[in-house]
Amino acid sequence: MNLYHNKLAQWAAYGVFFAIIAAVPLFVSDSFLLNQLGTYGVYGLLALSISLCWGFGGILNLGQGIAFGLAAYGMAMTMQMQTQDPESNPIPPFMLNNSLEQLPALWEPFWSTGLGITLALVVPTLFYVIFGNLMFRARVSGPFFAIMSLAMLSALFTIILDMQPYTNGANGITPPQPLTILGTPLDPYGPATYWLVCGLLIALTVGAKLLTQSKFGLLVQAVRGDAERVRFLGYNVAAYETAIYALSGFIAAVAGCCWVILVQYVSPAQLDVSFSVTMVIWAGIGGRLSLLGSMLGAFIIQGGQSYLGDALLSTWLLGLGAFFIIVVRFLPKGLAGLLEMGLGALSSGRRPKQLEPADRANAMAGE
Amino acid sequence: MAGLLEIKDLHKSFDGTPVINGFSLEVTEMTVCCVVGPNGAGKTTTMDLITGRQKPTSGTIHFAEEDITGLGEHEIARRGIGRKFQVPAVFRELSVRQNLEVAYSKQTNALKNMFVFGDAAMKRKLDEIAALANLTERLEVEAGTLSHGETQWLEISMVLMQNPRVLLLDEPVAGLTEGEIMKTARLIKQLKETNTLIVVEHDMGFVREIADVVTVMHMGTLLAQGTIGEIEANDRVREVYLGSEEH
Amino acid sequence: MGSLDLNSLINALVLGLSIASIWLLAAIGLTIIYGVVGVINMAHGEFIMLGAYSSYLLQSYFGLPFLLCIPASFVVVAAIGLVIERGLIRYLYNRPLDTLLATWGVSIVLMQAVRLIFGSDPKYLAVPALFSSNLQIGFINLSVFRIVVMAVTALVVAGTWFLFYRTRFGMQVRAVTQNKEMAASFGINASRVYMLTFALGAGLAGVAGSLFGVLNIVLPTMGTAYVVQAFLVVVTGGGTLLGSVFAGGLTGELQSIFAAVTNDTFARFLLFLLIVVFLWFRPQGLFAPRSVRR
Ligand SMILES: Nc1ncnc2c1ncn2[C@@H]1O[C@H](COP(=O)(O)OP(=O)(O)OP(=O)(O)O)[C@@H](O)[C@H]1O
Ligand SMILES: [Mg+2]
Repeated sequence: MNLYHNKLAQWAAYGVFFAIIAAVPLFVSDSFLLNQLGTYGVYGLLALSISLCWGFGGILNLGQGIAFGLAAYGMAMTMQMQTQDPESNPIPPFMLNNSLEQLPALWEPFWSTGLGITLALVVPTLFYVIFGNLMFRARVSGPFFAIMSLAMLSALFTIILDMQPYTNGANGITPPQPLTILGTPLDPYGPATYWLVCGLLIALTVGAKLLTQSKFGLLVQAVRGDAERVRFLGYNVAAYETAIYALSGFIAAVAGCCWVILVQYVSPAQLDVSFSVTMVIWAGIGGRLSLLGSMLGAFIIQGGQSYLGDALLSTWLLGLGAFFIIVVRFLPKGLAGLLEMGLGALSSGRRPKQLEPADRANAMAGE
Repeated sequence: MAGLLEIKDLHKSFDGTPVINGFSLEVTEMTVCCVVGPNGAGKTTTMDLITGRQKPTSGTIHFAEEDITGLGEHEIARRGIGRKFQVPAVFRELSVRQNLEVAYSKQTNALKNMFVFGDAAMKRKLDEIAALANLTERLEVEAGTLSHGETQWLEISMVLMQNPRVLLLDEPVAGLTEGEIMKTARLIKQLKETNTLIVVEHDMGFVREIADVVTVMHMGTLLAQGTIGEIEANDRVREVYLGSEEH
Repeated sequence: MGSLDLNSLINALVLGLSIASIWLLAAIGLTIIYGVVGVINMAHGEFIMLGAYSSYLLQSYFGLPFLLCIPASFVVVAAIGLVIERGLIRYLYNRPLDTLLATWGVSIVLMQAVRLIFGSDPKYLAVPALFSSNLQIGFINLSVFRIVVMAVTALVVAGTWFLFYRTRFGMQVRAVTQNKEMAASFGINASRVYMLTFALGAGLAGVAGSLFGVLNIVLPTMGTAYVVQAFLVVVTGGGTLLGSVFAGGLTGELQSIFAAVTNDTFARFLLFLLIVVFLWFRPQGLFAPRSVRR
């Protein structure tokens, strides 16, 4: 038995991972660094969401920025309204600059922090339910869904950019103060905020991992393999696809909220196509079939990028693109797949060699 | 007695080319109805129409007195019609066990299935069916690694896991060895005790073994229907079909 | 928001024709690559960008006149496409999601390579003075260059149609798309057909690029602006040449009319919603080839 497939070993690996990320604030005293590491938690959440949707569900989503961005805007609006006063100063400064004389109705609900955060999470999720339902019921799938999600993202990008008086266009929204919850401000540079993000990452990862082990998770993988066959077993495939897509959207929405709490800023850049594609690249390189692999992929790639800095950005991206091509061509399961093969070789070392899936695929292609 | 499955005056054309031309069929409960006919006669298309994969141009299909014409694939499957495809369709990346678990579709609700982590009734049924199909030893291997015969049996087992009232088997013994064919025949006779079966098959030896009623399709219509003896004695059937077969 | 009087409606329709020709030109290479080879080529925008840069290179270093840059860009980008098909794409046929991702990798590599070579500052393509003038017919006002784009698009569509429906190569292409095995038994080499079609599609993107480099400035990122729109045209059209012509025309006109009533970006949003709803009713697009059977 390959250790890689051992459920206990998997949970142990996740446990170690959780322990390490939770312990970070004990060793990092530089608050700026801690804040930056917090944003890695956001990347981890996004990679998790992609792995769930694309890795397990086979739904390639090139528009995850939709949920991430919408939630980020919702959170930024909530934080912005916390600093406004209904009596003396009800209108955010950028709206005044855009000569709005009244707070747009769209913004009204964000006076309430609870309602604001709820909306930040519910609106993107609901959006995914509706868009997903439309697409999946019409049996738009595979590359076409990828294209449609991409197009939806760019449509949203343009509309947010265009609604300057309501969204501050390309400048985005910069809430002047950190999020205040129950009277206490959440310092984005403090360990509490880091732990909040980290806790959400851990909780959602555990939830996602359990989900993949449930009957639902199994069905979603069956749909990935052969959606049509699943229909003839009596399942409403579109419902499963919509559910996994919306769940992944929800996780991305949580990531969007965390992002704004950490950086106190949102702009259309969060809905940029290239960022959404980057998320797919994290999962692809790390290993889309492994939640943990995808998250580590995000950490490695974002870490490498910020380590090398802006001067070498083009060279880095060039290398990343080339490496991604190699992964797609030779390593469909990413770096996690490499580990799987390694552990597989270790465990079957003494037994007669069994045909590995990759060999089999090659043998079939040769037919 | 009214049949469990009643097909009335079914028509289907693709881009104006008629493929099914007024085909009618009545299948009685707890019998095996074999559908035979030359290549391109429209047998698979008929299966597609029954299971909702295609919508008929006209005509109706009733199942247990309910009109199921035009329902979605999953709705028809839920009413108790299970299907094995002509080209075996299993989930190659999943293990044999997982294939059977997927097929166990008592609970189909997506949200409820998020909280299902294997139930005892399912496990019992899975073991039982795996034993029936000689797959017990192979439960943990990836379905993509199975031999052709095993894959055929896995797909039949999946249909059984669905617990359907009617099983549609499209060429279940194509590509099997003599021994495997005999075993399949035994299995089908056993299933007849509790289920209704419609079997599309070219292998006349096999048909002779299992069929209660044989239906011959030709160019999308019903050419003849009767017991195997009547069919083999029928001149028109010999002309269009049996004459061209090696069996 | 204003109501539309007759003059501005006609103006919008003419402008729509111009938009349609641009989108169609961007989409045509994509259409044949998708329709024949079955590859969703995410690097298509970068092929367009490469077309613009090769025109720039040929013009500013070799002094090639603009009109000759267009066919030259075709050759250059077709050659690049050929190399990519042989080196990568051909190993990924039958894995549609993987080709999509791999071509996305290609697009990143091309974009960054061009950035490293040419820098991120904009380049400009010079055109004959006549092209940069404006044409005024009655109340309709259109730049001459946009008319050139329309003419080239018409030429490209006609040429592609001729190639696919009136030549031996076209017959082979259609044989391969309809039934690969049968075509092979007639001695048609599918691999070669795919290779040439991919190169042809890339070359057409090159043609588009040398024209778009004049409409806009030449930048490493310029391709991304076109690629989403091109994809919508292909998806709406269903992946056939005729489908793309209709889809390009329809979406271009609608964009122009919506834009006349609201504004450019909102029109784009509206158009997209319309496409989503349309696809809901006709997921196979306007003119889809027959679906494959199990
Ligand atoms: N989706 C489709 N589009 C166009 N033609 C189709 C389609 N499905 C089936 N046909 C045609 O309908 C006819 C009947 O096909 P069908 O598969 O039902 O035959 P069959 O009796 O199952 O044959 P076989 O014994 O070879 O399996 C064939 O001529 C086939 O080409
Ligand atoms: Mg058949």
